[in-house]
Amino acid sequence: MDAQSTHISLVEMSNYQLATGKKNLPGDFALWIFIFAEMLVFGVLFVAYAFTRAYHIELFNESQLTLSRTSGAINTLVLITSSYFVVRGVTAIKQGVSKQCAYWLTGAFLLGGIFISIKLVEFHAKYAADISMSTNAFYMFYLSLTFFHFMHVLMGMIILAFIIVKVRRGGYSAQDYVGVETGASFWHMVDFLWIILFPLVYIIR
Amino acid sequence: MKQANPQSNIGATVIWLILVVLTLTTWRIGEAGMVGKSTMLLLLFIAMIKSQIVANYFMALRHTRLIWRAIMFGYFVIVGGLIAFAYLISLA
Repeated sequence: MDAQSTHISLVEMSNYQLATGKKNLPGDFALWIFIFAEMLVFGVLFVAYAFTRAYHIELFNESQLTLSRTSGAINTLVLITSSYFVVRGVTAIKQGVSKQCAYWLTGAFLLGGIFISIKLVEFHAKYAADISMSTNAFYMFYLSLTFFHFMHVLMGMIILAFIIVKVRRGGYSAQDYVGVETGASFWHMVDFLWIILFPLVYIIR
Repeated sequence: MKQANPQSNIGATVIWLILVVLTLTTWRIGEAGMVGKSTMLLLLFIAMIKSQIVANYFMALRHTRLIWRAIMFGYFVIVGGLIAFAYLISLA
């Protein structure tokens, strides 16, 4: 796409926004492509889990009982709260209050750390019990799904860390906050996916 | 220090509280040992409400074109629907 056609499509998008009052996706569109791709991968894994379970019900139900539902619920609350903190951070930067934005995003980052810590305790408990991906089909899905998600939380924390540093240096303002919205969208995706993963793997039986 | 307008955050706080209540409901259902078709459908319904709240309010998709909200809703309908289908054939 050349510069002129890019300019025309941006003008068309602006005209659409003016005519309908509807905005385009918050943040950088390129990241949204990544978000949709990640959701697709997780979606396939969720469905594969459910259909594999359908043919190994007793094994899945028995193995599922070894998971800590309380740890899963606490982690859900941690992620939901961190998402709320990110929302507050985005609102703050839109109002030009950089300092508050940095505080909220730092809070979200720290909650991400709590999520990671709880997951590490869970993984360690399974490792100590000599449970691995090759133990059975349930643990193969449990460990791969939660570890894949764990890596996304880590990635989200790295993104948040870069944004926090830039916010503290005055790199964003009420006029320029696309970067903050982009990082926020990724963080909310991590939350969105855990909201499905938690009942699927820890609760439904 | 410049302060953010507190009025703009009331909605987000209410949404967060709803998500907390729904999460605790899911956890309680698990702790109570509830099983079966109705419980599975209820848990998926709660997950759908939570995921759409996150998409529309936290991701702010409610301000965007219908297509983006349809994708997020369609995603849950397809994934959640297939999960429900798999559980139903296991109960049959």
